[in-house]
Amino acid sequence: MEIRLMNLRRNYGSLHAVDDVSLVIPSNTVYGIIGRSGAGKSTLVRLISMLEKPDSGEVYYNEKRVDNLSKEGLIEERRRIGMIFQTFNLFSSRNAEENIAYPMEICHMDKAYIHKRTEELLELVGLEGRGKAPISTLSGGQKQRVAIARALATKPSILFCDEATSALDPQTTRSILALIKEIQKKMNLTVVMITHQMEVVRDACDRVAVLDSGHIVEEGLVSDIFSSPKSDVTKEFLSSLTNVQESIVRWSKEGGHYTLRFRGNSTDEPIISSVSFSTGAVFNIRAAGVQVVNGEEMGVMMADIGPDEETARKAAAMLREKGVLVEEEKKEAR
Amino acid sequence: MMEALFDPRMLSLVADATWQTVVMVFLSTIFSMILGLPIGVLLHVTSSEEQGGIIPHPVFYNVLSRIVNILRSFPFIILMIVLMPLSRLIIGTSIGTMATVIPLSIAAAPFVARIIESALKEVDPGVVQAAKAMGSTNWQIILKVLIPEAMPSLVSGVTLTIINLIGYSAMAGAIGGGGLGDLAIRYGYQRFSPAYMVCAVVVIIVMVELIQFIGDRISARLIAKR
Repeated sequence: MEIRLMNLRRNYGSLHAVDDVSLVIPSNTVYGIIGRSGAGKSTLVRLISMLEKPDSGEVYYNEKRVDNLSKEGLIEERRRIGMIFQTFNLFSSRNAEENIAYPMEICHMDKAYIHKRTEELLELVGLEGRGKAPISTLSGGQKQRVAIARALATKPSILFCDEATSALDPQTTRSILALIKEIQKKMNLTVVMITHQMEVVRDACDRVAVLDSGHIVEEGLVSDIFSSPKSDVTKEFLSSLTNVQESIVRWSKEGGHYTLRFRGNSTDEPIISSVSFSTGAVFNIRAAGVQVVNGEEMGVMMADIGPDEETARKAAAMLREKGVLVEEEKKEAR
Repeated sequence: MMEALFDPRMLSLVADATWQTVVMVFLSTIFSMILGLPIGVLLHVTSSEEQGGIIPHPVFYNVLSRIVNILRSFPFIILMIVLMPLSRLIIGTSIGTMATVIPLSIAAAPFVARIIESALKEVDPGVVQAAKAMGSTNWQIILKVLIPEAMPSLVSGVTLTIINLIGYSAMAGAIGGGGLGDLAIRYGYQRFSPAYMVCAVVVIIVMVELIQFIGDRISARLIAKR
């Protein structure tokens, strides 16, 4: 299901938590919304998921407007979406399978069907035979699996993940993200992932919107955003990616003046050599490495280009022509 | 003194009084729950959103809260006297075991309401939010989420209510109610037979201990199952 947001606004007193957000979340994708704490992510997800009404603006699921529904209409529509949370929010008074059964119970579904569907869901999330387990006996990852099963019980077309992996360790995070991606493909879901972790966006999302103080500062394909970030917030997020830092090897303490990013097939050609050969430019490589963005490999190189400014510019232009993304370090930044 | 100790009627008198107390406490627990539970739930659901209210309504909440507070600040003995006409109207008399049940239930109801309210307040707001996001109606949130999630605290609250009612019922004896309090006053105090007094007090202590023990066990078992 496609989600469209038009000029959404939500204020808390004088705080503009969400300030004029317009966004199209295409059907059948994993869509990330990243922002620092206080950027308005939580408010935005509450607005998109009909938990809160915007002060102004509109929310559409496909062609249906959902931000001004009546009480009954709201309950009806909420039964068609799934949601998982940072703190899992499972019912401690119910065991795993009773938790999964809850959304079906409130829709008054047939008992035999609920039982069958619960078994199916337990298998889907890899918890076969754990249905009778009390919630407190499950690990964090298992709890989130139960929560995912519960969210998917009524076969929704949208799944909202509100910081769903923030309380989990890196390894469990990866397995939960893999599960979400797998389920997304299987059920043709539209997944909206709210997060403050760039790793989550890199590993799971197709598209991403970067949120800062209530505004969308950047939006696009994850691979594009990673290769050529425009806003400072995005750059900051990218630099916080621990895995990228680790995979880049530094030769010298000084950063290179140019950052080159090689995408896809451009990693297979001897581009540097051919550019050097035809322009006479010399490359002094300061640091280099590989980062994997949403399954796409990307080479990163930080280098100075010589011998003079003129040649460097020519070399940079030629590199861009060949599909390499060249970013020049601003002088004043150093 | 010796005569009083071996009063042959004592055993049957104490047994009768104990039974009366049990009936009084049992009935008034049930009636005070019937009165107090809806009030407690109403208090919680209409409280502010920060307090976990699902249908916040400040005016309604404040009015109800004031009424509960006023009723709770009445000394029980005064409340009993005030409610005597009501007992006469419903039961036909204002003295005896059954007549005491009415003021006991009404006196305990606001207490029960507060206990229910505070137990429901402890429920994780995230869980309620999840239930709401799944499309639960308010009734479903109350019956399928709030009450089951709060069950261990609710059981502790009921235990506390019963113990309070045992105390109240003994006080009721002073103004013509039946039960162990009545026995202690009439025989122990007015007829100077300390044996009756001691006996009544011992039975009350045993009752309180027993209720506390059972309540704790049930609450602990509910928690262990989670």
